[in-house]
Amino acid sequence: MSEAAIEVRELYKEFRIKDASIGSLKTLLMWWKKRSVFEVKVLRGISFSVLPGECVAVIGKNGAGKSTLLSLLAKIYRPTSGTVSIQGRLAPLLELGAGFHPDLSGIENIQFNAVVLGLTRKQVAERTQQIIEFSELGDHIYAPVRTYSSGMTARLGFSIAVHVDANVLLVDEVLSVGDYLFEQKCLAKVAEIRAAGGAILLVSHNLETIRMFADRCLWLERGVMRMEGPASEVIPAYLASDSESATASQIRAAP
Amino acid sequence: MLDELKELWRFRELLLTMVERELRVRYKNSALGFLWSFIIPLTTMAVLTFVFGYLQDNGMRSFSAYILAAYLPYLFFQQSIMDSSQSVLQYMPLVKKIYFPREILPLAVILGNFVHLLFGFVVFFVYLLVVWLINRGESPFQPTTVLLPVLFFISFILSTGIGLFVAALNTFYEDVKYLTSVALYLLFFLSPITYMSEQVAYSRINIKSGGLIYNIYNLNPIAVLSTAYRQILLAPQGIPVNGVKQVPIMLDPKYLIWTLFLGLATLFGGYHLFNRMKWRFVERP
Repeated sequence: MSEAAIEVRELYKEFRIKDASIGSLKTLLMWWKKRSVFEVKVLRGISFSVLPGECVAVIGKNGAGKSTLLSLLAKIYRPTSGTVSIQGRLAPLLELGAGFHPDLSGIENIQFNAVVLGLTRKQVAERTQQIIEFSELGDHIYAPVRTYSSGMTARLGFSIAVHVDANVLLVDEVLSVGDYLFEQKCLAKVAEIRAAGGAILLVSHNLETIRMFADRCLWLERGVMRMEGPASEVIPAYLASDSESATASQIRAAP
Repeated sequence: MLDELKELWRFRELLLTMVERELRVRYKNSALGFLWSFIIPLTTMAVLTFVFGYLQDNGMRSFSAYILAAYLPYLFFQQSIMDSSQSVLQYMPLVKKIYFPREILPLAVILGNFVHLLFGFVVFFVYLLVVWLINRGESPFQPTTVLLPVLFFISFILSTGIGLFVAALNTFYEDVKYLTSVALYLLFFLSPITYMSEQVAYSRINIKSGGLIYNIYNLNPIAVLSTAYRQILLAPQGIPVNGVKQVPIMLDPKYLIWTLFLGLATLFGGYHLFNRMKWRFVERP
């Protein structure tokens, strides 16, 4: 098990931000009008790896580049430079349920999303029942997703993501959406996947969850790795670095 | 481009699911559901038969069938491109969250429209059959109908090429969709759909120009395809021009070869442009 499940090397990501809000042909036609284009360097040379069976947490203040990092891992962005390699199948749990079509029923969305995540349609048919049971949505599964509450949507999204045999999970603040019981069930499922050799990258502001689950912690600050190590070392340093950052959310998270 | 195609093949299950979804979502909230796919060509046929059979009788037998043979492929072309232009934007929330080859979005709507084209032609053939059973004349079915897949292929690559092009551009410049809809609207009149291409060939301006006008006219791939569909599906008949019946003119194969070439060029060009732009979709301001 020496092969890393996630291997990130010298990752850079820049965004070019233009002042025009929505592109139109007008902005193309008015080429002589200078537009202020500025570059935002979100990630500046990040390197790390996650081994199979390992759970690594990413912490950092808003704007540190955590979400961009997850999006790069999920292949939603292409890196400006550097490489990202993933061994096996990846299931991103980025803001659950965003890939649902509001007019289709829950069950139809299951069929679609599971295929996006890499199952064949035959496999999806076999697992649909399991997914419905895990989500505890009952008869709501036949109702259009637009009628769901945010908690229900998150349940469905999570159920799909953990049933696609992914060995790399990207988890972005999603466990907080469901109620307490469902959260416990999710964490148990994540632990199960991890025990089977799955790698998990977790982004959370809930430091208590991180303390409980993460083997290692990556602390991002303005696009660079400020510190990497066991959660028990990184979290106190993170808290101490900026006492103002110990806002309500972290106080709430403390035991 | 080869890598992109391999990736697309890897996601073929997704493409099929998207096409299925496309066909299902379209009529999701309507009572008649899938029947709408048949109702549109059926009502078009009924109105055309009434208008060109009774209101404006131009002296051609079952002119409505000649119109439908050209109109169905035009409808496919128009709908595919208009749907493609919105395809990426419509799925933006998905594009921002999950990775999959982005070209699946326009491809799915184009394939969905292709299925509707097939339904349309089912209605077309049933119409021919019914008219034949009532009138009991010569069989309306032509042996050249076997060439239909060739024309389908050309229509498909042309629509896909332009669809990919428009989908990529419209994601950044939303004016593109309005430009495209105007262009498609004008193309309808510039193509022999409600009239016959022979009428162009026999027009005074074309004869005076020594056939130049007809050549230029047939640079338009939809004009060529309209004539081609008509001629392989239906029997040739005399064309009334200024009150005189003129002999029908078979389509010169060189126009069809030009259209095929144009189709391949737009397919490669459109796919290339789409691949170049697709990574920036999520970074759209």
